[in-house]
Amino acid sequence: MSFIESGIEHLGKVIKTGYVQWESASENGFFQRLDARIKVLFLIFFIVIVSLKRELLPEIAIAFFVFGLTFASRLNILNFYGRVLFLGFVFGFLIALPSAFNVITKGDIILPLIHFSKPYDLWIYHIPATIGITGEGISVVAMLTLRVINSVSLSFLVLYTTPFADIIRALKVLKVPDAVLMIITLTYKYIFIFAKTIEDMYLAKKSRTASGVSSKDARRWVAGRIAFMFKKSRQRCEDVFNAMIARGFSDTVMLYGFKKMNKLDAAAGFALFSAGIIFLWI
Amino acid sequence: MHIPDGYLSPQTYVPLYGASFAFWAIALRKLKSELSVKHIPYLAMAAAFSFIIQMFNIPIPGGTTGHAVGAGIAALLLGPWTAVIAVSVALIIQAIVFGDGGITAIGANCFNMAVVMPFVSYWAFKLIKGKSDSAKRLYAAGFFAGYIGLSLSAIVTAVEFGIQPLIASASDGRPLYAPYPLSVAVPVMALEHLLLFGIIEGVITAMLLKYFIKHEPEVVYAIQGDRQ
Repeated sequence: MSFIESGIEHLGKVIKTGYVQWESASENGFFQRLDARIKVLFLIFFIVIVSLKRELLPEIAIAFFVFGLTFASRLNILNFYGRVLFLGFVFGFLIALPSAFNVITKGDIILPLIHFSKPYDLWIYHIPATIGITGEGISVVAMLTLRVINSVSLSFLVLYTTPFADIIRALKVLKVPDAVLMIITLTYKYIFIFAKTIEDMYLAKKSRTASGVSSKDARRWVAGRIAFMFKKSRQRCEDVFNAMIARGFSDTVMLYGFKKMNKLDAAAGFALFSAGIIFLWI
Repeated sequence: MHIPDGYLSPQTYVPLYGASFAFWAIALRKLKSELSVKHIPYLAMAAAFSFIIQMFNIPIPGGTTGHAVGAGIAALLLGPWTAVIAVSVALIIQAIVFGDGGITAIGANCFNMAVVMPFVSYWAFKLIKGKSDSAKRLYAAGFFAGYIGLSLSAIVTAVEFGIQPLIASASDGRPLYAPYPLSVAVPVMALEHLLLFGIIEGVITAMLLKYFIKHEPEVVYAIQGDRQ
């Protein structure tokens, strides 16, 4: 795949992610109806619980619990878990896999794979006479994979059921300054605007390219486009600043607060908090 | 380089959140005093730029394509303190929206890629460039800024991974978080970054710096003092 195709594919994924989230957040499911502050506190509480658990069973229980919430939120289960399991496989299973062997995780070998005549010591490394997969190693790989799957599914559950602007605004409950929230919100909006601009650049380049582009020319073209985007971001900074001043912006950033929580929010918040306490305890 | 959730123990990710908070607070105060009310759109656009640098796939020798982390070039173009906020915001959005890096690991990822990398890249550039204005020296400084910045940031990440079996193991000795000891994590991460990813980052940083110095030298923060 040429740098043009891979660039278009990468950008397409970024833009698609934004649209898919925007669309699923407007569904009428359980999580979509909840106040964003409840969801943000739920996310942080549960992600910390996931990171504290030391046994497989509670992690499996949390995975089923998140599956139930995803189902109740009417999310597209196949798409949702397709993405979650892919990330879990790459960042959990594949990275952790070598630790299943006894050279990393000591323990009882349940699947011997390589035999040497004797063990070897190379500098600080010890190579045992038999290399194989240990029961303890499998437990380490399973634990890390489940932790990644649970953390990613919790983040995506909140992200797919809440508009990004609401998630960021809800961070006010954690006392994040309004100016920081505004920087993040503006950045998010302009990432998609710039991504579309870059995608157009790549498409224009592709439509003008009859034969291949040499690597040197391609690198020069990319450097020029990055420089163009740098100039564009500086120009946008001026435009946004002038627009803020024109609307009477002084030094104080004040984001709109949330409306009062209703009974559903309070009941759901209590139920989710209680579930978290149970998971902490088991 | 993006640490996912589950690899760092609370005794590692909590202090790293604290360290990142300290740098964010200093950077915000510094930039607010320099830019006044303009710091909000300025930092937002800088963050959007830091994010989009990673969207450009660049052909690299060997027939494949790669992309830069971009914290080094961001530090050279915008200054290290602006890069701290810009790259951090980009990393926070990557973690929340795209699942690139964990939420518990945001502090660690920001410390490694938005604090260590911009400052190391900036200082490496200043040190190698010295007082020279020669183009070759500038490009070499640009290359090593990206190369050293990314490599050192990777080694810091490896140390964070490598100390996990020492500080968080079950009673039977089984590692509870990142399972690789320092003797494995550091050489593996160091070698792959010193021999491959660091070179890619260095080439991209030098290439971009070359373009900016040739066409718009006035926007490069790292050479501003020398030209005034």
